[in-house]
Amino acid sequence: TSQVQKGTEKLTKAQIDEKTTELVQYFLVKDQKKLPVRRAEIVKNVLKEYKNVFQEIMNGAQQRFEQVFGLKVVEIDAKNHVYILINKLEPVEGDQRINSSNPKTGLLFVILSLVYMKGGVIPEGLVWNTLKKMQVDPGEKHQEFGDVKKLVTDEFVRQRYLEYTKIPHTEPVKYEFSWGQRAEVEISKLKILKFLGELHNQDPQRWSQQYKEATGQASASMSQPSTSTQR
Amino acid sequence: MALGEGHQRFIQTMMVRGIVNEQDAKTLHRHCCEVHREHYVSDKLEEFIQVINSKLEPMNMRIRTRSSEDDGTQYFALVNTANTELTRMSSDYADNELELFRRTLDLIMTSDSSTASSTDILNSADSLQTRKLTKSAAECLLKRLVFDDWLVEKRGDYSLSTRCVMEMEPYIRTMYDEEQVKVCSVCHCLAFKCQICANPLCTVKIHYPCAVKYFKKKPIQKCPGCSELWPNKVRECRQSGSQRHR
Amino acid sequence: GKEKASQLFSEGLSFDPSTFVQHTLSFMGLNWLEDEGNNSEDEAATSNGILPQNAWHILASRCGLCFQSTPAFHYMYGTFHAEPPTPKLRVE
Ligand SMILES: [Zn+2]
Ligand SMILES: [Zn+2]
Repeated sequence: TSQVQKGTEKLTKAQIDEKTTELVQYFLVKDQKKLPVRRAEIVKNVLKEYKNVFQEIMNGAQQRFEQVFGLKVVEIDAKNHVYILINKLEPVEGDQRINSSNPKTGLLFVILSLVYMKGGVIPEGLVWNTLKKMQVDPGEKHQEFGDVKKLVTDEFVRQRYLEYTKIPHTEPVKYEFSWGQRAEVEISKLKILKFLGELHNQDPQRWSQQYKEATGQASASMSQPSTSTQR
Repeated sequence: MALGEGHQRFIQTMMVRGIVNEQDAKTLHRHCCEVHREHYVSDKLEEFIQVINSKLEPMNMRIRTRSSEDDGTQYFALVNTANTELTRMSSDYADNELELFRRTLDLIMTSDSSTASSTDILNSADSLQTRKLTKSAAECLLKRLVFDDWLVEKRGDYSLSTRCVMEMEPYIRTMYDEEQVKVCSVCHCLAFKCQICANPLCTVKIHYPCAVKYFKKKPIQKCPGCSELWPNKVRECRQSGSQRHR
Repeated sequence: GKEKASQLFSEGLSFDPSTFVQHTLSFMGLNWLEDEGNNSEDEAATSNGILPQNAWHILASRCGLCFQSTPAFHYMYGTFHAEPPTPKLRVE
């Protein structure tokens, strides 16, 4: 066996604990900007010569997140081994954890709602025109959001809230928006639909197709409700 | 003892808030227990936090406590306790921004008033070793540091927030020497705003709320270090003007 | 795939982006201004108003309830090197 790579048998509990703590710290740092974490960077930045015990260290980190913080490590891309952190604990009324000092959530909600309610994928023009009606113009610097185009097509995409994909055979190139891999696991379609119902003073079930999709997502989700509120 | 969801919700809220006062901590404790229908006992906040800390410490995190130098209110803050290659990957501030913050810390620690003027800080921005910061970028940074609750600004002067002191205490005690690191003789915690002894040879410093407590039942107020008369007003009220204090 | 899903969405109540915008702006506290008369019904009508400064925060607070996002851990200690200075480097 190679001196460079360490197998489980050669590691003490202390060494494994130390690497597990480091992986937890690494996830927390990446989560500051809501960036996804790739297996390759975990190996390079955290595990290094311990790369053979990736799964054991990852399991340990996942356990710490669930048991200590009430957070969950989710693999959003099984092919490329990409992970994010989501919350196991549900938000409640008056929840101090909802960072109301982050207005970007509002902007994201508008875009995600549009996409969701209009079939899951929409041309970018629809997004820009809708935002303009809300005094958010991608061509101008916005008082709250700064460079809106960059925020929407770069930051939200890197965070995996949105997907911004080229429509083939378009000249000039046109793009379309859809929900990103993070949005799919982090955001409840049913809750979005219910809020939309409140905004429109409408029974959300009247949007029957979207309602079907929302209840499908809710029952497929593996997490158990962690408060008395319904998902 | 494993953490319940009430503990986890408390931890998560502390991650968002950074620091809370005693009243908010008590309210949060009750709220977290109620949301998850866990057994709640008021007055057991300290134990609740101790259980949390037993799980956070292996991860180089901790909920610390400190009393306000103004009125003795207790505060709780969630702090990081490790300094490693990984914690230095923290992405809230760029390396030159952190360098300006360090310069600000130097200015504060070496001043009698424990403050740094915005003029002095902005001048430091010119001579950074990492990368220069423009005046406007430095002003923006100062606003952000105040918003993120690392610094407090009052009439153009900057001082360390309670949260900052609570997290940076080990750094401060290591990096600055005895003359610059003022410690209260009563509670032995770091002292930035405090009363001093009239005796020029005496190094005793006492926080105002600590002095109120210490001299409470003493008809004659004498310095615990040199026994000279304590010259400062010590009454259960807002700090009055006639005090010798830094 | 996604195209098929779009076609199926013709069932049920329709969703009109303009109506959505109006309701959302109201929720955010938009103060509707008097219609100037010769504005077209299209874009101008819905942006005729003054949004309060915290408009997007108001929306974010409510939307946050739909997200199961994580609190991030922000700190200052440990974000930069801290070597104790030698006596020579003492700050003036
Ligand atoms: Zn004291
Ligand atoms: Zn004395």
